Amino acid sequence: MLLVPCPHCGPRNSADMSYQGEASSRPDPSSTTPTEWREYLYMKHNPAGWLRENWYCSSGCRRFFTVERHTVTSEFREPPLPGSKTPRPTGDGADPARGAP
Amino acid sequence: MADQPQFRSSVTNPVATPAGAPALTDESSLTKVSVRARVGASPLGVDFTRTDRRDGVLIAGIRPDEWLLLGAGAGVEALLAGTEFDGSVNRIDVTHSRLCLRLSGVCSASALEKVCSLDFDDTMFPDGATGSASVAKVSSDLIRDDQDGEPSYLILADRSFGQYLYDAIHDTTTEFSSAWPSS
Amino acid sequence: MIRRLEPRSGEVIDRATPLKFTWNSKKHIGYAGDTIVSALLANNESVFSRSMKYHRRRGVLTADYWDPNTMVQVGTEPNVRGAHRLLEADMLVSAQNAWPSLDFDVKAANGLFGRFLTAGFYYKTFIKPQRLWPAYEKVLARFAPGGVVDLNTPHGYHDKRYCHPDVVVAGGGPAGLAAAISAAQAGMNVMLVEHNHHLGGHLRWGTDEDRAVADELEATARMAGVEILTDSTVTGRYDDNWIAVSQRNHPGVVERLIKARAKILVVAPGLIERPYVFAGNDLPGVMLSGAARRLINMYAVRPGNRGVVLTANADGDAAVVDLERAGVEIAAVLDARAGETISKASGSSRHLNSVTLLDGSTVKADLLVTAVGWTAPTSLLNMAGDRPCYSPKAARFFSTALPDNVIATGGIVGDGRLDELIAHGASSGELAAERAAAVKHRLRSTVTRAQTPEGPEPPMPADHRDGLCKAPHPELYRSDTHGMVDFSEDVGSKDLLSAAAEGFDSVELLKRFTTATMGPSQGKLETVNTVAVLGEARGESIEEVGTTVWRPPYAPISLGALAGRVFEPVRVSSLHEWHTANNMKPILAGQWIRPDHYGDPAAEVTNVRTNVGIIDVTPLGKLDLRGPDVPRLLNLLYTNEWSKLPVGRVRYGMMCAEDGVVADDGVTGRLGEDHYLMTTTSSGAGQIWQWAEMWLQTEHPDWQVHVTPVTTGYTSINIAGPRSRDLLTRLVDDVDLSPVAFEYMNVRSGTIAGVADCFMWRIGFTGELSFEIHVPAGFGLHVWEQLIEKGADLGVGPFGLEAQRIMRLEKGHFIVGQDTDGLTKAPTTGLTPLIRLDKADFAGKPELEWSLGAGAPELPVLVAIRPTDPQLVPDEACQILRKGTAEIVGRITSSRFSPTLGRSVCLGQVTPEFAAAGTEITVRLCDGSDTTATVMQHHAHFDPEGVRLRG
Repeated sequence: MLLVPCPHCGPRNSADMSYQGEASSRPDPSSTTPTEWREYLYMKHNPAGWLRENWYCSSGCRRFFTVERHTVTSEFREPPLPGSKTPRPTGDGADPARGAP
Repeated sequence: MADQPQFRSSVTNPVATPAGAPALTDESSLTKVSVRARVGASPLGVDFTRTDRRDGVLIAGIRPDEWLLLGAGAGVEALLAGTEFDGSVNRIDVTHSRLCLRLSGVCSASALEKVCSLDFDDTMFPDGATGSASVAKVSSDLIRDDQDGEPSYLILADRSFGQYLYDAIHDTTTEFSSAWPSS
Repeated sequence: MIRRLEPRSGEVIDRATPLKFTWNSKKHIGYAGDTIVSALLANNESVFSRSMKYHRRRGVLTADYWDPNTMVQVGTEPNVRGAHRLLEADMLVSAQNAWPSLDFDVKAANGLFGRFLTAGFYYKTFIKPQRLWPAYEKVLARFAPGGVVDLNTPHGYHDKRYCHPDVVVAGGGPAGLAAAISAAQAGMNVMLVEHNHHLGGHLRWGTDEDRAVADELEATARMAGVEILTDSTVTGRYDDNWIAVSQRNHPGVVERLIKARAKILVVAPGLIERPYVFAGNDLPGVMLSGAARRLINMYAVRPGNRGVVLTANADGDAAVVDLERAGVEIAAVLDARAGETISKASGSSRHLNSVTLLDGSTVKADLLVTAVGWTAPTSLLNMAGDRPCYSPKAARFFSTALPDNVIATGGIVGDGRLDELIAHGASSGELAAERAAAVKHRLRSTVTRAQTPEGPEPPMPADHRDGLCKAPHPELYRSDTHGMVDFSEDVGSKDLLSAAAEGFDSVELLKRFTTATMGPSQGKLETVNTVAVLGEARGESIEEVGTTVWRPPYAPISLGALAGRVFEPVRVSSLHEWHTANNMKPILAGQWIRPDHYGDPAAEVTNVRTNVGIIDVTPLGKLDLRGPDVPRLLNLLYTNEWSKLPVGRVRYGMMCAEDGVVADDGVTGRLGEDHYLMTTTSSGAGQIWQWAEMWLQTEHPDWQVHVTPVTTGYTSINIAGPRSRDLLTRLVDDVDLSPVAFEYMNVRSGTIAGVADCFMWRIGFTGELSFEIHVPAGFGLHVWEQLIEKGADLGVGPFGLEAQRIMRLEKGHFIVGQDTDGLTKAPTTGLTPLIRLDKADFAGKPELEWSLGAGAPELPVLVAIRPTDPQLVPDEACQILRKGTAEIVGRITSSRFSPTLGRSVCLGQVTPEFAAAGTEITVRLCDGSDTTATVMQHHAHFDPEGVRLRG
């Protein structure tokens, strides 16, 4: 079982956590288009490599946080950042938020 | 007017501790107040995952933005009255929402590790530390509060799980009783 | 012939404790310490099973856990490993896979047709015609191998344990013991897991000097405080050294699953002896050198009378010595190092009679012992990401690369004298201790509650151990004849060659097609032989063919151990004891045990409509919200407007997910200036809490709101019915309950039956005048009992969930998740006025905006429905059809017989075309017949104007 580095508790079993999926930021609801909004809702990048993702420390400190995990090796990049708005990935593979292509 | 009401715990059927096993007691009637502040604030001077005891009241930093006060009603009230909080702090009485069990004895960590995945080693969960985790599949807050030189843990969880959680933890202690078959 | 030898120095049996047992209803006597198989051998039994496909008689092969031929039934327990399980008094042991008996097995006829039963036989033969499969299946099921499962077997006491050892050592042979000792002596907390009943590994069936070393190592390990688990297995290594251990020796527990988070894992499984492939290699009487030596030296059993030994190594040589000492006549010794080998073994189906050598000469023998080399059980290394590599010089696989937290030692690493193996183990233990200390330092500095360690984090120590050599060993896999490769699955070398010829010539394909390595031995004995035979077929070396990847579990683990103690949390309210004592018919709703009714739900409805009823609604989700920004949060979570809710007022709201689908609903009241109480559905309480936290923590961390779940902090009771005010007035002194002072959709705080800090609001699901009171839970029972007592003359009675469901349906209130589904966007619930698109933002707003806009796809609409036949209650989920067609245009979502109206009432979803009031629809009932029903104007079947609840 993975150990997920919670920025408040320290490393914890992934079973103590609730996975919240890829980090992406919510489009402005007053100006968004159906295409943009539905991409935000349903489309995931799912790279084989570094991925910014959100976790909720549901059995522990109950804080949301964002980490970078390598989806092939399950290695985490430290230090993790507390949950916050994250830049929206552009999907061109060169997004700094998602690591080098 | 009606009869004077009496506080009733959600642990309705406590059983006797088997000889030699860690003792499981119900301390749900303690007054419990949750103090909420911003993450990073320290309204009571106690850090997250740490505890302090003041005038008989246990103050536990159970979450980065939550502190739990445990003790006799008057003591908790006095402590709150004597502390100055800024406007962003909220106090919520959770006496009735949280059950509180105490597990004490030399084997209490060994018993707990049958239902909880935290590391109860003395260096990883020392006396005066707190942690939150699933205990027998119930989200719980644990506070190490040694008594008479022996390890002792307070386990707090949603009141409605009272009897279930009591029974589940009691089951973990039985193998440490003198009546348990030996190899 | 007496097979039990005179007492021997190393034996593990206790001759002072004889144990009676039965084998296929024959009575035998063994000793404490015997395995089932050693006791049977001592009693002159030499056939233990029939093979899986051809039902050939099988005798002992390895005499340990991995023996494929000695699976037996013990009482109601199937598939017991007879060469591992210790004998117990009065054990009922029987053979498996044989009918009607081990001696005469009709399915042995399969063997006669063996050439038809090649790999893939069943796939190819029974695939067509498919309609006959059920018939085939019935017959084939009788041919399935394995024991008999007793469906009434009790679960037994299984449990689980988590632990966090510094070092886990997998394997209690000399290297593993030495590693455990040095790690423990370096101050580490060490768990040593040994698969067998005894520590010492191969030393246990070695010489007296070997055993003396094993005893000393064991004593030192115990002194050093190593936690020793025998008859236990490290079954898997997962991410971040999450180690699964199956513990079978814990007193009072059938089998325990230990989930260990080890800082360092030391892998020391030793080596597993490999069988040799030749014709007749599965005849009873053919066994491996380890089997012969275990039987002689540990169990004092003579494995035969006249033996031939094929040896390629020191263990084979030692077997010759042991056999001679046990009085076995040695007919021939063939030294593979000098190029000698055997060609085939012959005999009756019951026993070996002779061995044929390469030159065609035969040697009479009833025992053939082979020592042709080793399989390195690299499973745990595989699980750590290693891809072992074959060394032709040493004729086995070796590890290539391991992560820092996994260290290998012992025979799996290389060869050496005993003192060299022990030294390697000891230095591995030291390395493990140093690395564990580094990991521990990092953990203590990152786990917030831990004691902060002193000093800077040490670097991960590098591996400076002296290695073990890789001693040369002849490559012996198959002789010049064909024989069995996978004894468990009855797959021979010929089967493998023909499968390869059919095109299944990659090792992973070959394995799956022939099932070689997939039986109970799980490749421990046959993997390398399979690869070697495939190499022959491909004309390639073992290195080029490569091997399969070993995955967890290393050894089987029982389902009972995986299940462990059954933890199914249940929640009850403070009134549970009262309900139980008062004829509650319980219903499990999520984790909650709630009263469905108390005997007669229709009467409960009538009592609420005419007098007054009380219901326990404690599971209703309750969130305490505090802070100046609560209205902003409410505006974000709910679709309607919350900016100007006055203190003392309550409002209904509906929540949507970001896709516009209805997620939850409930009321929220303002108790004070910055203090609100939100209620959610019972099942949604946890999710809505997390939903609120998500918005606060990630999108609006600047907002000052504290959310605290208080669901069970209050015992919630709804007092409903025309006399509810009369009843509550008798218990409340400090709140004016009159209709003018306490209007509908208002909230007040006060004292109820002497209990302070209660609050009450005028809302309800039943459509009656009702007060929902929330009492601090520790006093809940007191207040409930007071309501029952003080309301006796008003006709007060409890009502359950069923009565409430009937009344809410009479009133047309929908239940999120029952009357709505994953396509129900907020507008189609009929509550469009509650969607305020003029708010800057709320969850799901863009989707709702588009679904209310022009050109939006039309979604089913929620409507009230009355069947034409008032006595007919269509089942929930019955389809609604376009008249005269099979086109589905909707479904019934809720239906009940209304005692109040004396007729059936429903809610349903229909396409907009059918949503107009008065539309006649066709409902298809569960029995296939159709009936008609009418769509109503209002959701409420009863009191649509709401006169009663505002009373």
